[in-house]
Amino acid sequence: MEQLIEQLKHQIIEALNFEDMTPADIDTDAPLFGEGLGLDSIDALELIMLMDREYGIKLADPKAGKAIFQSVRTMAEYIQANRTK
Amino acid sequence: MRIAITGIGAISAIGRNCAETLQSILNEQSGIGAMRVLGSVHTELPVGEVPFSDAELKQMAGVPVNEPMPRTALLGLLAAREALQESGIRNQESGFAFISGTTVGGMDLTEQHWHDYASGQATECIALHEADASTQAIAQHLSPITYHLSPITATPSTACSSALNAIMLGANMLRTGQAKAVLAGGAESLSKFHLNGFNTLMILDHVPCRPFDATRAGLNLGEGAGYLLLEREEDALARGAVILGYISGYANTCDAYHQTASSENGEGAYRAMKGALEMAGLKPSDIDYVNAHGTATPNNDLSESAALTRLFGASMPAVSSTKAFTGHTTSASGGLEAAICVMALQHGFVPANLNWTETAEGLIQPVVHTEHRALRHVLCNAFGFGGNESALVISASGSELSEADLRHRTPAVAVETMDDETMGRYVSGAEARRMTLQTRRIVAAARQVMEQSGIAQPDAIVCATQWGCMAQSMKFLQEMIDNNEQQLKPTPFIQSTHNTIASQIAILTGNHGYNITYAQRPDALDCALNDIETQMSLGYIRSALLLRFDEEVEAWDRVLALTSERIHPCASASMYIKDQQQ
Repeated sequence: MEQLIEQLKHQIIEALNFEDMTPADIDTDAPLFGEGLGLDSIDALELIMLMDREYGIKLADPKAGKAIFQSVRTMAEYIQANRTK
Repeated sequence: MRIAITGIGAISAIGRNCAETLQSILNEQSGIGAMRVLGSVHTELPVGEVPFSDAELKQMAGVPVNEPMPRTALLGLLAAREALQESGIRNQESGFAFISGTTVGGMDLTEQHWHDYASGQATECIALHEADASTQAIAQHLSPITYHLSPITATPSTACSSALNAIMLGANMLRTGQAKAVLAGGAESLSKFHLNGFNTLMILDHVPCRPFDATRAGLNLGEGAGYLLLEREEDALARGAVILGYISGYANTCDAYHQTASSENGEGAYRAMKGALEMAGLKPSDIDYVNAHGTATPNNDLSESAALTRLFGASMPAVSSTKAFTGHTTSASGGLEAAICVMALQHGFVPANLNWTETAEGLIQPVVHTEHRALRHVLCNAFGFGGNESALVISASGSELSEADLRHRTPAVAVETMDDETMGRYVSGAEARRMTLQTRRIVAAARQVMEQSGIAQPDAIVCATQWGCMAQSMKFLQEMIDNNEQQLKPTPFIQSTHNTIASQIAILTGNHGYNITYAQRPDALDCALNDIETQMSLGYIRSALLLRFDEEVEAWDRVLALTSERIHPCASASMYIKDQQQ
């Protein structure tokens, strides 16, 4: 799980163009939206695409992302349980 | 003076002309269905296609089948010619203007010939890529009717509100004596590019759309064109023309909220509708029908409902979205729906909002079936990406609008170049996360100009571009072609529209004022300056931020190298202030 979290942080930084950031700057349990990284709805779409490209997970309903993207940890847990690659 | 409408033209999934369009609406017959012409892999998505191939459209339009022409221009030509012919206008030697909004332009040809270009084939299509090439192609084919080999042309490109902005500019040109007759509206064909783009935003419904319904799940894309022929009332009467209606008020505002989403309280939409009513000198209760933007995305319909409720309160007029008939025809929608509003006035009916069954909290309740009754004033909305919101009032009897002489101005403050250090001071790395380098430069230049001129909130933000946001456009296009329309990232699409720069600056500075982008080669700057001068002369604005934007991108430079065209990069900003002349 820790390995997946680390990998996921790298992928988030790349997908969302956080050029000056390192994985250490992202708190695994901090909220991704609102506070914390302060992501918005465009980032949510990018994260949905990230899960599709990297882990073969397709979300049909963008609203489903809300629960999954609470933090890096909740996202990693969802990926662990649902990945197809 | 009063601005008369003396001709309308329309083409979409529900008809090749106004007569067919009217018949489909009165019969409540939708044009949305399975994809037949576009050729995208996403056949699961219903669309509002004009059910003819390019070759068939060429035949209908009298264009030689071997003449390369974007589908946008073919649709535009058919509707523009209809409006001109219906108006009976001929030989406008003293000033004919053709103002046509589009965003997609010739993207369809670029998609089809991308691999041809790599091997030096089909190079005659390259210069047709950009938005204004469609405007020029239509104007050229209209010349046998107008006897005008070089009409004044302009191509507003504010995504889905482009055509309404074209109509507004046209009206302002009549009011300042720049033209005697204006044909204004917009055209847009379907393209794989924007079908895939909207798909990455997850706002396309997989079944026919249901505007304002509780179960709505997104829009269906459509295609088409719509134009109005505008003249001064006295000119129309003098030549014995039939007046179909009047343009009595209009406004363009910016929601200044988000690149793709509308604000919860519908601030920009509210301001646009309120501004249009104020210009027309009307009370909310004077409006008998609102042709809503009503795309059927969860966000638009809720936000537009909030704006409508703020403006009309308990006395809500009849409201419907006609997008369940035509699909969302994006940049053409304002022109097509304005033409539908003129039909509604002429024939006395309120169009149905198809597919509506169930309401939910916060949503207005639309008119479900055609209602036959006389209408005095109708309001037509068109809202675009970046929060470019426009509203137009069309009336059975016109309002008196002011006139003015055009006055020329020079900028008070200008920033022509931007070095990296200064740029870093004005735009932080976090803010620039989604920007290309050139975008970051122009945002920095805009902020520096606002600071130096002491005008933090200019009344207008006007952008001139020849090619638009090419870096992100080409990134999305290449990925789409390479990945066979699968697994595409949304951000390049969101940043690909021409109006990205002007709307982004409005969002970053909270500016709700007039906001527009002109796409034109080689004279986008002339179009933008002319609009600023027109609006200052009419007294609508006292200050305007003018932006000039173009960026190089390797993938397109390689293609352009096959032609004599080049992109000349620029990212400059200047502030125009009324009564400050040199």
